[in-house]
Amino acid sequence: MTPSPARRWRLAILGAPALFLLVVFFVLPYGEIVMMSFRTASSSAPYGDGLTLANYARMFADGHYLGILGETVLVGTSITAICLLISFPIALHLSSVGDRWHTLFYACVVSPLLVGVLVRNFGWMIILSFNGPINQILLALGLIERPVRLLFTVEVVVLALVHVFIPFMVLPITTALRNIPPSLYEASRSLGAGRFSTFWRVTLPLSFPGVQSGVILVFVLAISAYVTPVLLGGQFVVLMPTVIVQQLIAAFAWPFGAVLAMILTLSTLSCVLVFAFATRGLVRRAAIGRQP
Amino acid sequence: MNGRIALGVGAGVGLAILYAFLLAPLVVVVLASLSGGEVLAFPPQGFSLKWFARFFGHESFRNALWLSLQVAVVSTVVVSVIATMAALFQRGLSQRLAGPFRTLLLMPLLMPEILTAIGLLFFLYQIGLGNTYFGLQIGHVVITLPFAYLSIASALDQVDPALEEASASLGAGYGRTAFKVMLPLIKPGIITGGLFTFIVSFDMFAMSFLLKMVGGNTLPLALFDYLKYDFDPTAAAAATVSILFALGVVALVEKLVGLRRAF
Repeated sequence: MTPSPARRWRLAILGAPALFLLVVFFVLPYGEIVMMSFRTASSSAPYGDGLTLANYARMFADGHYLGILGETVLVGTSITAICLLISFPIALHLSSVGDRWHTLFYACVVSPLLVGVLVRNFGWMIILSFNGPINQILLALGLIERPVRLLFTVEVVVLALVHVFIPFMVLPITTALRNIPPSLYEASRSLGAGRFSTFWRVTLPLSFPGVQSGVILVFVLAISAYVTPVLLGGQFVVLMPTVIVQQLIAAFAWPFGAVLAMILTLSTLSCVLVFAFATRGLVRRAAIGRQP
Repeated sequence: MNGRIALGVGAGVGLAILYAFLLAPLVVVVLASLSGGEVLAFPPQGFSLKWFARFFGHESFRNALWLSLQVAVVSTVVVSVIATMAALFQRGLSQRLAGPFRTLLLMPLLMPEILTAIGLLFFLYQIGLGNTYFGLQIGHVVITLPFAYLSIASALDQVDPALEEASASLGAGYGRTAFKVMLPLIKPGIITGGLFTFIVSFDMFAMSFLLKMVGGNTLPLALFDYLKYDFDPTAAAAATVSILFALGVVALVEKLVGLRRAF
């Protein structure tokens, strides 16, 4: 059946606004990041007229930026790992809880997502401040003699980002767990497997597709987080996004900022690809296991 | 048997701690904003609403709240329309084209917000729209489009094609079918998508930070600036106001569509 011309026009009109918006204000801007990374620097404007490779040369010659990149990937990896450890039990609970309570627990997981990152970070600032509850508890227990500085450390940044990203990990894992046919659990039990063995050999392997998407999502978000390291890490925690924004906003060195953004993106992409490649067997196994 | 009960209790306590961890920062912010004391402290000293009065009396916070509401409302209207059209468009496409179109629409969600913001910063400057309201608004529309699209497209997926055919065979044209049959059926998806758009735009930070218009802060930016120099309950009141907006949206979604259908 070939669509009539009128039908085709109608379709084109429906799709045009979204396509226009994304091509002009999404695809072209990304192209501009690539272009900008090859532009020359200028002292009177954000960038000069010529094209050059000098920005890349400068980045690779200076170990400082590669060091920060390494640190960023390391912090991102720890955040992802901790996030997974915390999120799995929550997802397990969420996927098994009865209908009546489901909405309540779902709201608990999703509602932090609806409150801005800034507000959630601010909550940690209060909790961890000099006269905050953690210091008060430690004082009362006699573990410390005077309030200690808890803020502005990399650990606090990791804690706050784990908190921010938990919903992104919980939701895909919950979906994967809910998709496991109950008959598999019955089969496992009737074959004599205990709870732990069912968990290890049925639940865990079959939830892997959800784990994989959650890990990739959280890793990408963690690597590119800007506001939390600035607010809770201050000048003591310097990660790539902070350095990039400094170059763009404070130093007005757009080409070099673009190079740093390119390097961060390419490193993130390679990490994701390596991870996806390394775990493809586990995903395939889950797909086979799910077949009736 | 005792072992199993202990295990159950242990798991329950563990889960309670995890859920408490999830909600703790929000609860602390709200309680701190109700403090009667003069410094930001937890637990709060006494009860008062004076910090909310101070928040609304603070001119830069008031302007920021106003700008945030304006950007969020415009985003909601524009994005709901574009996303609904895009979802109907995707339904009319062949399988081969629908996949890539969907991926393109979800890209702003898959790419880090800060990267999209950097690209837009460069691009808008070059076309002469750097640091303008229009640029800020475009940034918000691009980021929120996938949220609305996901929700509307999934509502549309549930619509039985037989209904469209029935409407057409009864003599309704395409427009009539779209407005009288399809739109009422996907209304829950549009409402959910629109409300998400509103809240995501209202809370957006990185994009607003890089595309900041001259002399115009959104509420998150104003709060960020405030936190750099002051650490008093006015900030908590500002944060509580945005939590209240989020709660309002959740309540609306629950009332209009039901939370379970929304996610």
